Amino acid sequence: MQLIRSLINQISWPWRPESNREAGDAVVKSFLHHWFPHRVSLRSMSWGYSFWLGTITAALFFILCVTGVILMFFYVPSVERAYWSIKDIEYVISFGALLRSLHRITAHLMVALVFLHMFRVFFTNAYKNGSHPASGRRFNWVLGVVLLVVTLLLSFTGYLLPWDQLAYWAITVGTSIASAVPVVGESTREFILGGTIIGQNTLIRFYVLHVFFLPLVAALAMIWHFWRIRKDGGLAVIERVKEETPPVEKNDITGAGSKSYALMGVASGTSVHIVERQKLTTENSVSSSPDMVRRIIIVLFLTVMVSTVLSIITHAPLEGLANPSVTPNPAKAPWYFLGLQELVGYSAFVGGVLIPGLVVLGLMLIPWVDRSGGKIGHWPTEKSEKKWLALGGLAGLALTCLAVFIGVNFPSRELLGNIFEHQFWFDLLNPASGLQIAFILWFFLVRKLTRSTRTASLSLFTAFVVAFIVLTIIGTWLRGPNWDFFWPWQIIPVTPVIY
Amino acid sequence: MTPELKTADRGRRSFLGKMTLAFFLIALPSQAWIYFRSLFPNVLYEPPKKFKVGMPQEFSEGVNFIDSQGVFIIREGQQFACVSARCTHLGCTVKHASLDHEQTVRSGGKELTVTYEFRCPCHGSKFRQNGAAYSGPAPSGLPWHKLEVAPEDGQLVVDKSQTVRSDVKLLV
Repeated sequence: MQLIRSLINQISWPWRPESNREAGDAVVKSFLHHWFPHRVSLRSMSWGYSFWLGTITAALFFILCVTGVILMFFYVPSVERAYWSIKDIEYVISFGALLRSLHRITAHLMVALVFLHMFRVFFTNAYKNGSHPASGRRFNWVLGVVLLVVTLLLSFTGYLLPWDQLAYWAITVGTSIASAVPVVGESTREFILGGTIIGQNTLIRFYVLHVFFLPLVAALAMIWHFWRIRKDGGLAVIERVKEETPPVEKNDITGAGSKSYALMGVASGTSVHIVERQKLTTENSVSSSPDMVRRIIIVLFLTVMVSTVLSIITHAPLEGLANPSVTPNPAKAPWYFLGLQELVGYSAFVGGVLIPGLVVLGLMLIPWVDRSGGKIGHWPTEKSEKKWLALGGLAGLALTCLAVFIGVNFPSRELLGNIFEHQFWFDLLNPASGLQIAFILWFFLVRKLTRSTRTASLSLFTAFVVAFIVLTIIGTWLRGPNWDFFWPWQIIPVTPVIY
Repeated sequence: MTPELKTADRGRRSFLGKMTLAFFLIALPSQAWIYFRSLFPNVLYEPPKKFKVGMPQEFSEGVNFIDSQGVFIIREGQQFACVSARCTHLGCTVKHASLDHEQTVRSGGKELTVTYEFRCPCHGSKFRQNGAAYSGPAPSGLPWHKLEVAPEDGQLVVDKSQTVRSDVKLLV
C-alpha cells in the first residue's frame, strides 16, 4: 500500500506548489511536473484559440496505437490469409468489427485533424519566432509538415492491408504515380513494390512500414514537436501575453535562476542567466497541474467518445478479395487523395509528383518566405488581411472550378493530339499545371498590391485550402465510371461491386 | 599542462586518427549499402512473363480478354495480335468497349476503320482499336506483346517482356 502510494506520488502531482522554488523541487519528485511547465497562460488554455486540435490529433494517434496493436494479434500479412483474417476480425472475433471500424475512423479523423491543426497554426501566425532568442517555432512548423506527410503515409500503407479490391486498386493507382517520375520512376516503383506487381513482397513491406517504421518515426517526431513547444515558451499566443503584461521588477522573481528552472518554464532563457522576465502571474495563468492536465484528460475522453460513436454508426467496408484482372469502375483512392487523383487525371507527373512535391516544399518554406513579424498568435484581425483572405478563397474557388471545367470540356489530348507528339507538351499544357501557375501568380499579385508577404501568404494559403476542398468534393461525389463528370442532379450509373 | 609529445608519438597518433576516420568512412556506407541492397529482390515469385494462352482456333473473332494475365488477344481471321490491358497512365486494367457504329478515324497518320476501343475506368483514358492513346491522361498507347506459336503443341505463347510494333500480326 505504501509502495503504491509512493508510486502514485511520483507520477502525479499531489500538491500545488506555493512558489516557483517549491515547483522547482517538484521536477525531481513528480513525473507530470517533469513533462509540463509550472504555469500555463489562460490564453494558451483557451478552447477558442487553438481548439486543442494538436491534442486531439495526439489523442487519435494514441487510440490508433492501442486498436492497432490489438488488430495485430489477428491480422496475418500474407496474400493467402490477409483477406480471410480481416473476415475473421469482422465476423468471428468479439468486438472485432468495432475495433476495425474504430481504427479506420480514427485514421480518417487523424488525417483531417492534422490538416485542421496546420490550418489553425497558419492562420494564427504561429509559425514565427517570438521575442525569445531561443525560440524555434519555424523549425517546429517544419516538424509539423513532416508529421503531416508521415500521417498520410501511415494511412496509405494501412490501405493495402485488407487485401480486398478497394485496397488493391487504390495502391495500384497510388504506386503507379511513382512511375511518372522521369528516369528513376520505374525503379522506384519496383523498390516500393518489391517486384513488378503488387504481391507478397508489397504486402509485407507495407505491413512493416505501417506497424513499425512509420509509427516509430511519427512517435519520435511528435515527442520532438511537443518538446519544442516547451522550449519555445509555450504556444505562440504567449507572445500576446508578453505584450499585455507590464514588466515585472527583476527582484520580484523568486528563485528562478538556473537552467533547470528555465527548462521547467519557471523562467525562460538560454543559459543560467535569466534573459527574460517572468510574465505569468496569478491573473493571467493557472497551474498546469491540475488545470491543464484536467483539460487534456477531458480532450482525450471526448476524442475516444466521439470516435467510438462514429465507429458504431459507420462501418469499415470490405469488398471482394483482391483480383488483379478486374478493375472496379471507378477505382478511387482514399478521400484525402481524391483531390490529387483529380489532378492526376490531367497529368500523372504534374498531379502526382510535381504538385505534391511543390506543396510539401512550399509548406516547409513558409516560415522563411514570410519573415515579417506581424501579430504572432492572433487570428487575422486587420481589415486588409480579412479582405485578402476572403478574396484568396474566392480566387481558389474560381480558378479550381475553371481548371476542372477546362479539363472536362476541353481535354488537351483530343484538342492538341494532332499538333503535339511528345508527352512533355501534355504535361505542360493541362489544367493542373495551369492551376499551379495561377496560384503562384496570385501570390505575387497580392504581394505587389498589398506590399505584405504575410497577407499574400494568407491569401495563397486560403486559396490552397479551398482548392483542396473543391477537388476533394469533385473527386468524391462528381466523378463516376470511367472518371466521367456528373452533376449532383445527374444519376451516376452504378457498376456492380463484388463483395 | 599537456606533456610534449615526441615526434614519433605524434606521427603514430595522427596515423591512428586517420585510420579511424578512414574506417568509419568505409564502414558506414558499407553498412547502409547492405541494408539498402537487401531490399531489392533477386528472385521474383511472380507469374512468368511468357505464358501459353490456348489454341488459335479457340479464340473468337475480335477481342478476347485473358483476365488472369491482363492481355487482349485480338483475332482477325487467321491473324492474331496481343495487346496489353494495363493502362499506361497508372496501371488500371482497361476495358474493351464496342462502338455503336463503325467509325473512320485518323491514327498515326493512317486512316483506320474502328468498331471498338479500350477505356480505362480510373481516369478515363481512351485507346483506339490499335492501342493508340487518343484521349485522357495516358502518356502512350497500349503496347503490343510478342506472340508466337509453341512448337510442341501449337498453342499461342505471349511474351509480356517483349513489345512489338503495333501492326505486327501473327499469321496462323
